[in-house]
Amino acid sequence: MSTESETVLAIRSITKRFPGVTALDNVSLEVRKHEVVGLIGENGSGKSTLLKIISGVQQPDEGTVEVRGKKVSFASPAQALAHGIGMVYQEQSLVPALTVAENIFLGMPGTSRFGVYRWREMRERAAGELERLGLRMDPKAVVEEFSFAQRQMLEITRVMQLGQRSGHEPLVILDEPTSVLEQGEIDILFEQIRRLREQGSVIFVSHRLDEVLAVADRVYVLRDGHCVAETPTAQASTAHLLAQMVGREISDGHYSEDLQVPYDEGEPALRAEGLSTGPECRDVSFELRKGEVLGIAGVIGSGREDLCRALFGAVPVKQGRLWLGGRRVRFRSPAAAARAGIGYLPAERRIEGAVMGMSVAENMVLAAPSQVSRGPFLSRGHWLKEVERWCERLRIKTPSGATSIGLLSGGNQQKVVLAKWMLKQNLKVLILDHPARGLDIGAKQEVYRIIRELAQAGLGVILIADTLEEVISLSHTVLVMKDGVVQRRLDAPRGAKPEQVEIVEHMV
Amino acid sequence: MNLTLPAGLAGNLRTALTPSRIMPTITLIVLILIVGGIQPQFFSAYSLQSLASAAGPLILLSCGEFAAILLGGTDLSIGAITALGTVLTAMWLGHTSSWLVIIAVLVIMAGMGAVNGAVNVVAQIPSFITTLGTMGLWTGVALVISGAQSIEVIDPAALSWLANYSGGVPNGFILALIAAVILGLAMRYLPGGHLGMYAVGWAESAAVMSGLRVAWIKITAFTLAGLFSGLAALVLVGQTSSGDPTSAASFLLPAIASVIVGGNAITGGAGSVYRAVIGACIITVVENGISVVGISAFTEQIIYGVVLIFAAGLTMDRSRVGVVK
Repeated sequence: MSTESETVLAIRSITKRFPGVTALDNVSLEVRKHEVVGLIGENGSGKSTLLKIISGVQQPDEGTVEVRGKKVSFASPAQALAHGIGMVYQEQSLVPALTVAENIFLGMPGTSRFGVYRWREMRERAAGELERLGLRMDPKAVVEEFSFAQRQMLEITRVMQLGQRSGHEPLVILDEPTSVLEQGEIDILFEQIRRLREQGSVIFVSHRLDEVLAVADRVYVLRDGHCVAETPTAQASTAHLLAQMVGREISDGHYSEDLQVPYDEGEPALRAEGLSTGPECRDVSFELRKGEVLGIAGVIGSGREDLCRALFGAVPVKQGRLWLGGRRVRFRSPAAAARAGIGYLPAERRIEGAVMGMSVAENMVLAAPSQVSRGPFLSRGHWLKEVERWCERLRIKTPSGATSIGLLSGGNQQKVVLAKWMLKQNLKVLILDHPARGLDIGAKQEVYRIIRELAQAGLGVILIADTLEEVISLSHTVLVMKDGVVQRRLDAPRGAKPEQVEIVEHMV
Repeated sequence: MNLTLPAGLAGNLRTALTPSRIMPTITLIVLILIVGGIQPQFFSAYSLQSLASAAGPLILLSCGEFAAILLGGTDLSIGAITALGTVLTAMWLGHTSSWLVIIAVLVIMAGMGAVNGAVNVVAQIPSFITTLGTMGLWTGVALVISGAQSIEVIDPAALSWLANYSGGVPNGFILALIAAVILGLAMRYLPGGHLGMYAVGWAESAAVMSGLRVAWIKITAFTLAGLFSGLAALVLVGQTSSGDPTSAASFLLPAIASVIVGGNAITGGAGSVYRAVIGACIITVVENGISVVGISAFTEQIIYGVVLIFAAGLTMDRSRVGVVK
């Protein structure tokens, strides 16, 4: 429908790979003149990589970027800006000690003569820029007195101004601009975005679907590095977008659903009663049986991460009680939780999951060094055997045990982190926070299979999954959380899985 | 699948001889040859003995500082703890059994280290500031109890065995090497060392989320720093028969320099006791060598500074350290 001249930015079949992960796989996207394009996707969907490519921070491995019909290749954000494309980051880049006018024109030629500011001219031009966006701000005011929302407006003004220097109508990228704003401020921001549309184009990134629907003309949905949908917002609904965002892609065999065996009704592995960590997670009660996989569904901010961290002692529990294997427990630290028999696989594998500078062998025995010790001393013989055994059992592909774990693919890294906990003899409960995040399909399937085996072996498993489909397929039971509270508990036995909509309606 | 673990002491010779591992030793040997080439007297038995005597306390301090730096921290108080240690030892020796004095000094110094660790961990104050504070504290205590005077040992025989020689090698040097070897073995064969300390140094949040007792590991590291300062204090009193409350500053920077010149990462996580020991030897050779070669006092500092930077450039294990700060 669009002609070339109307298209400001065209991303064509872009692929971007990182070691072990394909962040973007054949993604295409178009932004037209005077258009607000929404971009949604979960963490790890490839959103931020796409933004980095558009704004020139990273370069694609395959595919092309066209700006106003011409093929371009940005080596830096400065080059993207020279084509009128600028990004407003979540972390702001203003200098708090300087004035509004200085910030708008920071580092730009033409604002000074012989190294001395032409103050009056700069203020007049700043006033003009602010007026174009309908902002009432004194160009002489110092930025540090401004609220976060005001600074964001100023940042947008700055990026607009920079973009206009290209001689074209700019394309402004707003990355999660609402995440730290109050409702009233969000309304003002939306007003601004509508103004921006008259003067250029906007890419608006958010994980709040209602906002995207309110402000965007068209929405792209990213999932697992693929662009799974492109819809005019007039024809989209929140539930529809969420379903696309969290996914419905893969065949039944993918999750090895046939391997799910019913859990033993008898013995509780973990029981929580009225657990609270603060406003993030309130009054949560549940029972986890041996052999049960308990999935927790919820959007970002639903409190599910907080709950899991609290169970592992990484976030203090303010109220409520916890029983592990029938014994009342209270963990002051992850070390205490681990000693008692709880394991935790963090979502941030490279920061919290594995010690990147250490070897595969060292990472594997971090949580249970006694397994490879004789008396108080590490025994190299036992260590070697144990590492070999686990590499074989979990099919970990590594040149050797001495290889730095950072050199392995994401899937193999994750398997080492899993082995770290599986080595622990007294492990009763394993908490998995996005265990398959960022892994390719093959590695995902292997991780799913390991989760099944762990449950079969009698472990209680708590799962925060990447997608709704994942949580439904892998879990025996699903807890749905919203705003820190458990909304619903659904049984999800093999052959009688709940529909995604049943869960979605309690999530949003 | 071919699996090999990081080389043990009796382990894989090939890994032990990778360039990054032998560079510190080669740097040391080259420095010794340069000094000896300019002034052959450097190789005389007397000269080598005094070199080894000087290296003893620095090796101990370097090992202690290494424990703190390995965890990504800094211990600025080891000099002050050592100075206080020499004062206490000098005051007590001769009044009671020397073994009692040795044990008491080591326990107290280790305790001071533990206090550093505990303040760092419990109050969440950066070790740099914590130990800067205790550096002032213990220096002050040493000055007050000694009246800011050097204290002579009443019974110099009590610790003189540390200044004697076994087979021509100074006992203080031997003691330092034995302590370093024990620390090195502990770092290699105790889970808390090989896994705990290195993991905390590399990636503290991953260590926490693996259930490691990070607080205890940190306190242990600072306790070791205190304990090794105590050992250094004993060797110093043995060598000088006196306790010097004003000596704190002269120990600290050479100790930190030793750790880094040996090629340990100042950001923590990477390095070894071996590197700390070689680093201490390099510093000693450079300091002694400059005076042996007969460079004027004015240019001494220039040479020292330049050589230090070059040595660190040669010894750093760049395969293990991504970011240099």
